[in-house]
Amino acid sequence: MEYDENGVSIVPADLKKEIFEEARKDFRYEEYVRGCLNCGVCTGGCPPHRFFDFSPRIVLQKMKSKDPELIWTMMDEYVWACFQCFTCAMICPFLNSPGGVIAILREIAVRRGFESAKKVLKPYSRVLLKLTAYGNQLSPDMIQPDFFPDWGPHIGYASTDLSVKRKAIPMPTLQVTNLAWDVAPETMKELYDIFDEAGVFKIIESVDPSLYEIIQDIVDDVRSS
Amino acid sequence: MSENILVIGGGPAGLNAAIMLSELGVNVALVERDSFLGGNPKKFKYKFLFPDMQPADNVIGELIKKAESGGNIKVYYSSEVSDFKENGKKFDAVIKSASGSETKTFDSVIVATGFEHFDPARDAKYSYQLFDDVIDIKDLERMMGENNFVRPSNGKPPKKVAFILCVGSRDRHVGNQYCSRVCCTVSVKQAIEMREHFPDCEAYIFYMDIRTYGFFEDLYWKAMEEHDVQIVKGRIAEITSGPDNTVVCKGEDTLLRGPFEIPFDMVVLASGMEGGPQSPEISSKLGIELDEHGFLKPENVTLSPFKSNKPGVFLAGACTGPKAISDSITEGAAAAMNAYTYAVKNR
Ligand SMILES: Cc1cc2nc3c(=O)[nH]c(=O)nc-3n(C[C@H](O)[C@H](O)[C@H](O)COP(=O)(O)OP(=O)(O)OC[C@H]3O[C@@H](n4cnc5c(N)ncnc54)[C@H](O)[C@@H]3O)c2cc1C
Ligand code: SF4
Ligand code: SF4
Ligand code: SF4
Repeated sequence: MEYDENGVSIVPADLKKEIFEEARKDFRYEEYVRGCLNCGVCTGGCPPHRFFDFSPRIVLQKMKSKDPELIWTMMDEYVWACFQCFTCAMICPFLNSPGGVIAILREIAVRRGFESAKKVLKPYSRVLLKLTAYGNQLSPDMIQPDFFPDWGPHIGYASTDLSVKRKAIPMPTLQVTNLAWDVAPETMKELYDIFDEAGVFKIIESVDPSLYEIIQDIVDDVRSS
Repeated sequence: MSENILVIGGGPAGLNAAIMLSELGVNVALVERDSFLGGNPKKFKYKFLFPDMQPADNVIGELIKKAESGGNIKVYYSSEVSDFKENGKKFDAVIKSASGSETKTFDSVIVATGFEHFDPARDAKYSYQLFDDVIDIKDLERMMGENNFVRPSNGKPPKKVAFILCVGSRDRHVGNQYCSRVCCTVSVKQAIEMREHFPDCEAYIFYMDIRTYGFFEDLYWKAMEEHDVQIVKGRIAEITSGPDNTVVCKGEDTLLRGPFEIPFDMVVLASGMEGGPQSPEISSKLGIELDEHGFLKPENVTLSPFKSNKPGVFLAGACTGPKAISDSITEGAAAAMNAYTYAVKNR
């Protein structure tokens, strides 16, 4: 990927237009982008604004400009600075949702397998694997004291002798350690159908092909069982 | 036999309507729910009025004096219209006061029930009522009026004050999309007043658009040129408490600074104008229309802004939307003319 003097990736003008059209056709667009008073309330309340050169007001203004060039400048890094906390949507006097606009743009980046999306999603491959293959997010064996200091002083104790502790829970589906709960194969199959229909597997294939292969092996196993 | 006309509300609009009618020889019943006349300017002790900073007493005091001494005006204090019925082209109204109820027939009616100040406690981001040093423009009017301009938290004079515009206006979250029209000018006027009387105290105005429309723009220029008022473009997102007993305004300076968090000794919220509970009440009692902003609806906003949809019932002042005192007084006279014509025609 090549970049211009402002650090914006160089792509054909047609692609920029396509991206804008895709965003505008999103079913949420009308609800998220209304008018903008350029008042800066959204930005004043936006947590990352204090740490990065990032402003939800600019996001909304660029979207309102309908200028594909301006919108493209946000696709490399800008959209990934948002925490998706939606404070902006809660306080915007016009009832816009700059955070929602970001969600739309991010989804486009992910669907199209843009470099930036690949980079951002890399650290989440384990979560993605558990989520799409088993319908679980965090599992007990992922709890490591070093990674979760904010879980309080007992996190060390909680992470030892997992299988014994889990056996003490009087619910058979919770007596596993490699998953948050044991999922029935019928449920998993239904889940895969939903992910197929929603294009989730396709998205994973485009952002992380090797992760996709691991997931598909599990999916095939479960489906043929 | 002279005409009988009912005027509801004794603010600038109602007062002027009553005075004009009285001069025409009409018997006026002026019904005011408070125990005094003068409306919001009197209630909140406005001291100096924009645009020319003349003492409010020159205007409001003058109107009250005329109304109270005008032989043809009967003022009903602390009273209300408790019942209202059409009687052919005339109207039967019951006026209820401390001394009992009185039923009278009127040839026409003028509604001048005015506005209420937006209660800033309804918008949590401004921390009004949470921090003592966050006040609003009506509180400041009263403080200035009582010569008591000090920080409510410690009774000391402030050194740095922020004025925040558009509180309760132009914001769908609080249900008010409209602009309250006077608050920009009031805030600029207050900042000038403060700088004149307390030159050690810095003034900042945080705005989204400065709407000192028409000649009021002079005050805006004067604030910058002669009084060094800091004008910062950016609406405040949050007010929090800061070190050394300060209140911190957090927002985005959309032109210069980017994100900011500035501590102040005192914050003044420019709360806007609302139709208040009286507008829907009067609307249902008299059978006249309410508009989508919560004010009374004129029959035609451009052609006949002083007429309600009901023949014989006229409107004046801030009950039909935010406006300045001069406009309210003008509308009082216009409504008087129309109410008189209606009364004479149907005599
Ligand atoms: C903070 C602030 C400062 C301002 N300063 C200025 C200024 O410097 N210069 C300027 O030109 N304008 C100023 N204005 C605007 C000014 O206050 C209004 O234009 C004016 O008060 C409107 O007059 P009014 O008679 O229509 O209504 P009001 O002043 O609201 O009077 C209405 C009256 O009707 C009475 N009433 C209401 N309901 C009933 C009922 N059901 N029965 C009987 N009586 C009832 C009320 O008690 C009140 O006395 C300011 C406004 C604000 C918010
Ligand atoms: S959703 Fe994103 S843009 Fe909106 S306030 Fe949160 S971090 Fe900022
Ligand atoms: S808060 Fe809303 S209106 Fe204000 S700048 Fe942000 S998006 Fe625009
Ligand atoms: S007059 Fe000024 S402060 Fe008041 S609502 Fe309008 S723009 Fe906001």
